[in-house]
Amino acid sequence: MSLLELRNLKKYFSSQKAVDDISLKVERGSIFGLLGPNGAGKTTLIRMITGIFYPDEGEIIFDGKTFDPTNDVASIGYMPEERGLYKKMKIGEQTLYLAQLKGLKRQEALQRIEKWFTRFDMSSWWNKKVEDLSKGMSQKLQFVTTIVHSPKLIILDEPFSGLDPVNTNLIRDEIFQLARQGATIIFSTHRMEQVEEICDHIVLVNKGKKILDGSVRQVKLDFKENLFSVGIEEMPASPGVSIPFDVVGKDDHTYVVRIREGKTPNDVLQHLLQQGIVIHSFNEILPSLNDIFIKLVEGTPVSRQFQNV
Amino acid sequence: MNKIWLIIKREYLTRVRKKTFIITTLLFPLFYLLLIFGMGFIAEKSRQHLRVAVIDSSGYFTESRLQKENNADPHSTLFLVKDNNKSIMTDHEKEGYDAYVVIPRLDWRTGNPSLELKANKSYGSAPTGMVERKLNRVWDEIKNDSLEIDAAKQQILSQSRLGLTSRNIVDESANAKIAEGIGYACGFLIYFILLIYGAQVMMGVMEEKTNRIAEVIVSSVKPFQMMLGKILGIGMVALTQFFIWVAFIFVVYNIGMASGSGGGMTDAMVGNVQKVFESIDVPLILFCFAFYFLAGFFFYSSLYGAIGSAVNEDMREAQALSFPVTMIVIISIFLMTAAINNPTGKLAVWGSIIPFSSPIVMMARIPFGVPNTVPWWQLGLSMLLLIIGFLFTTWFAAKIYRTGILMYGKKPSWKEMIRWAFRK
Repeated sequence: MSLLELRNLKKYFSSQKAVDDISLKVERGSIFGLLGPNGAGKTTLIRMITGIFYPDEGEIIFDGKTFDPTNDVASIGYMPEERGLYKKMKIGEQTLYLAQLKGLKRQEALQRIEKWFTRFDMSSWWNKKVEDLSKGMSQKLQFVTTIVHSPKLIILDEPFSGLDPVNTNLIRDEIFQLARQGATIIFSTHRMEQVEEICDHIVLVNKGKKILDGSVRQVKLDFKENLFSVGIEEMPASPGVSIPFDVVGKDDHTYVVRIREGKTPNDVLQHLLQQGIVIHSFNEILPSLNDIFIKLVEGTPVSRQFQNV
Repeated sequence: MNKIWLIIKREYLTRVRKKTFIITTLLFPLFYLLLIFGMGFIAEKSRQHLRVAVIDSSGYFTESRLQKENNADPHSTLFLVKDNNKSIMTDHEKEGYDAYVVIPRLDWRTGNPSLELKANKSYGSAPTGMVERKLNRVWDEIKNDSLEIDAAKQQILSQSRLGLTSRNIVDESANAKIAEGIGYACGFLIYFILLIYGAQVMMGVMEEKTNRIAEVIVSSVKPFQMMLGKILGIGMVALTQFFIWVAFIFVVYNIGMASGSGGGMTDAMVGNVQKVFESIDVPLILFCFAFYFLAGFFFYSSLYGAIGSAVNEDMREAQALSFPVTMIVIISIFLMTAAINNPTGKLAVWGSIIPFSSPIVMMARIPFGVPNTVPWWQLGLSMLLLIIGFLFTTWFAAKIYRTGILMYGKKPSWKEMIRWAFRK
């Protein structure tokens, strides 16, 4: 059963159809990638899921029931892209305050904060202020404040921006860990290599509409162009023979070939073997999410235009 | 509800624990006393001693008359210079005089001779008035002598005066002078609280918006709870500060009583204070003050909160948007002055009923007496309208706040903000 289901969600602003009829399902325990160019409507969509905005139309089903912002926000942890903390407030008090706002009792909150602070090597920060922290440090703190109440649904908007590789790994491992423990994670980013690495399932939004929905593997298969890389010494010149592929690229001893309509990889291998050529490697080339993203979004203006709704 | 309480606690504690709160709370009364005593001291110190040459052509001004007045009032010295002394006219400073007055040939029976205090620099009204009064005392003496009015007759002429003060025959306890003082004090106190703490609410909201913590918070609580928590928290800070000052006055008063230093002075003060407490309805005034203080604070601070949510980092944007609101508060102070001069006039009555100005104007009228100066229906209507008023402004502000707190970029106009409020 899915933890979160959106049905025909719509949110129009005065000059923008920010979210225009989007439906999707987020499976329990999955890491869900919410992708899209700038201004596609991702933030608006997330704000409706976190109860900040009410949808104009449509339905949100959270944990089997109609979403009730007043109570359900306690089960959601949200780290917005434009994030911040009270600069002048002590870190320990601040984390406690944010945890209590999520409905944790003081004692329980203190225990959990202590656990996380120890885990992230932040125990000495308790009486410091946020203004004393570097950008990466405050990012870590922000992550802790997002997950300290063990939410069922964690929404992370660009969680790695501003982090160095060491801290990126730390947070990424934590995300995997949380997902293994049963938390569902919605991950929003522009960084496609991170999506391929982390997400199970992705949805691509553009101009307020969903234009792609599927598992990372399935999406890649759907967009494959029958390209293979063939590692051989020399491509035989064999005129007259019906060749089952076209060569589209060459790099040293590796050729990139596109299989012709109606042919299979086996036909390619057969053809090469018949020519008596030694094959060192033979791999299918799947498109990267980056390519798919650019292909799908290409042609839309760089930024959304104002429109009358 | 529990969440609002958490927000109130945070808003309250972060402010009360700040060094600036402790310093301003302690220093304000000291600063206030210093200002009062310091002004008197500076005024005394800055008094000049003027040496004025009196060039008399009338023959009335004699050496002995001037000498008598010089002895009575040593702040200036008048010197008699006979005839038109040319050297004084051209350069009185070289002769040792700060200024000179030329008295023409005149008759003591006619007219109001207008004289000039001539000097190389301009003298203000205070030193000029001092010399004028002195010359007039000499002039009175000249007239008295000419009319042969002796000391006993002079006594009768100067002492016998008719006095007139107002007395409220229905409400015997109402005392206009004391009521005026209390009215001013209450009105100004509420005025300061509205402006200072209204600005604090606005700054607090702006801080949350520019720190970008607003979105984190509104994913846990409703924007309305966030705004209300802030307003209530800051309201409690204002109350705390107010109670500390009241306690401060109480302590100073008791120490003054116990030490008994200054003897008669303290007795006089005690008598005055007792007279004040006897002549007014203290519980009613305290209750009304608490009511108008809180309701007025809610009324205005929610508007200031809405403004804070609508603007970005720029302080100038905030000032531009809050100008109309601040203007209304300032106009209330003018209405208050009018209300104190005539507490039953039309301006006073309507000013104290309409919610925008009622916290300040009504508080200035109440010390004049309820129900004689302020009928019960006016007080009741004023309170009811103010409650409706602050419920409306809080609702209105919450709508703007909800949209504004997450809106970055261009500063909205009041027109746009009103549109936010009436959108579903």
